Amino acid sequence: MEVIRCQGLTKRYGSTVAVDELDLAVDGGQVFGFLGPNGAGKTTTMRMLLGLVRPTRGQAWVHGRPLPDPGGLARIGAMLEEPAFYPWLSGRRNLEVLALSGPPLPDTGTVDAALNRVGLAAVAGRRVKAYSQGMRQRLGLAAALLRRPALLLLDEPTNGMDPAGMREFRALLGSLVDDGTTVFLSSHLLAEVEQVCDRVAVLHQGRLVEQGRVTELTAARARVRVVLEVADQPSAQTLLAGAGWPLRTDGPDALLVEAADGREVNQALGRGGVWARQLLVERPGLEEAFLHLIDAPIDKATTGEVSDAAAPR
Amino acid sequence: MRLLRAELAKLNRPLLWGVTLASALFCVLLAVGGSANARMNVTTGAQDQVPSCAVMALPKGPACAKAQALQRARIEQGRAELALAASHTAAQLHPVAAGAEAAGLMASLPGALALALLAGGHAGGEWSGRTMKNLLTQHGRRWRVLAAKLASLWLAGVGLVAACWAALAVAGPILVRANHLADPHQSLATAARWAGSQAARSLLVLAVFAAIGLLAAVLTRNTIGTMATSAGLFVAMLVVAALPASGRWTPATWVQGWMGFAVGERSITALPDNFWSRFINAGGSPPSHLLGLTGLVAALAACALLALATFARSDVAG
Repeated sequence: MEVIRCQGLTKRYGSTVAVDELDLAVDGGQVFGFLGPNGAGKTTTMRMLLGLVRPTRGQAWVHGRPLPDPGGLARIGAMLEEPAFYPWLSGRRNLEVLALSGPPLPDTGTVDAALNRVGLAAVAGRRVKAYSQGMRQRLGLAAALLRRPALLLLDEPTNGMDPAGMREFRALLGSLVDDGTTVFLSSHLLAEVEQVCDRVAVLHQGRLVEQGRVTELTAARARVRVVLEVADQPSAQTLLAGAGWPLRTDGPDALLVEAADGREVNQALGRGGVWARQLLVERPGLEEAFLHLIDAPIDKATTGEVSDAAAPR
Repeated sequence: MRLLRAELAKLNRPLLWGVTLASALFCVLLAVGGSANARMNVTTGAQDQVPSCAVMALPKGPACAKAQALQRARIEQGRAELALAASHTAAQLHPVAAGAEAAGLMASLPGALALALLAGGHAGGEWSGRTMKNLLTQHGRRWRVLAAKLASLWLAGVGLVAACWAALAVAGPILVRANHLADPHQSLATAARWAGSQAARSLLVLAVFAAIGLLAAVLTRNTIGTMATSAGLFVAMLVVAALPASGRWTPATWVQGWMGFAVGERSITALPDNFWSRFINAGGSPPSHLLGLTGLVAALAACALLALATFARSDVAG
């Protein structure tokens, strides 16, 4: 079932377009990654879904109901950017105040259950001003989980969390999805996203540039590394370029063939009488695929390629 | 009611206790000064002597005797007025009647400035502290959020009146005794009627002050901006009312009319019961209670509606 749907969703601030004609559909019961560089419009989109920001144009639906839908907020949990709380109140009191601000909670132990779930029960009585950033992040998560939401919007939820916290967070996401919760997650930690998300959408300068399964996104950018004798490189280059594949050299004895299938490259070389010493299909990580999508320069070190000149001595 | 409970829980903060303590202290210090003034006036009046014929440059005789009799009558009248004023001060400091003093002070500039501070922290602070998004993701009906804010700010104002009343009720009898102020022979019923009437009237004025603070918060969307803007608006109200041509059609004169504050410098007594009408031009006649009531209700509605219209359309981006 479709949980989120955006159709031509647009937000302008004066002449600046924050979100531009966004069409998006998110099915329930999954972790959906919402990616994009800073200023891409991710947080603005989330704010529009929560009714905090009014769209300039377009329409959005959450749980099939058109926005703004104040009554539907009880089914949505949200943590936007760095969570903020009343510093003079304790963690527990902050959650109690939030609980009072909305519809009644299902039972009296809900606040404690949320605190337990994020591992903050022991420090719940301490004032928030004494919390570390990671603890605030956990409290933000507890606030988002307070109403046992069917949809969870999380914007950079692991900022400031220690490795143990991030691991617990991954486990928490897993258990939430098992319970049928849909998680709409924005994060800059692409390795993290790759581990937890089923599908992702990439936003760049307010526009949706790609969406699909993580594996599809990375598979689409697979390339074949062909290692040959140095003397064979020019003829191999002619053969493969002639077959229409974009390619580039990587040192005197290697070629990188973009968007190609290993078997086809092998066949093309064999037909031309060139035999490779080694053929390796390289699938880029989500990070490289993401950088490719937003046309950012790819640091070779991040793609696993180390040139001789840059290699440590 | 749940939203209001949440707002009241948030109000339980150092800012509220600080403002309450400062307001109570201000009232007590004013009472200390006022009761000392009353005693000093009586003492000074008692020392007035009928001048001699030589001082008046009159030859001894019937003309001097007549002049001295006039002077004696004037001095006696002055003493009686000072004694009456001292007695009035003692009456103001009666534990029950102190409610009128507390209400008058909180329904004038001191209360307005206290509410400006509270509006900054309680309403503007939701934007500065970036907690407005939490609030609106729990409750998307903005008019209710705003109504709860307004009600909680108003209750904070009522709390300030109560705190000042309590402080004056404790300090008042001590000050009356310490300064040997004459017993005003004020019945408990009279004191209760006086205090009850002023306290009840102050409720509307406090609501207007709270609405102005809320409007400032919605317009400026930060703590300092709210404090400065609402304080500026209160001062501007007085400045406009002080203009000779403004007459009876300003919010400040409506407050004066509704609260029944004495006009202009007549409000400056040994123990002032407000810090408001002394700033207003005393040239014209003050508005009636009814005009004051109508004007204040209209001002309250205008501020609340403007705040709601602005808030309902604004993006919460912080």
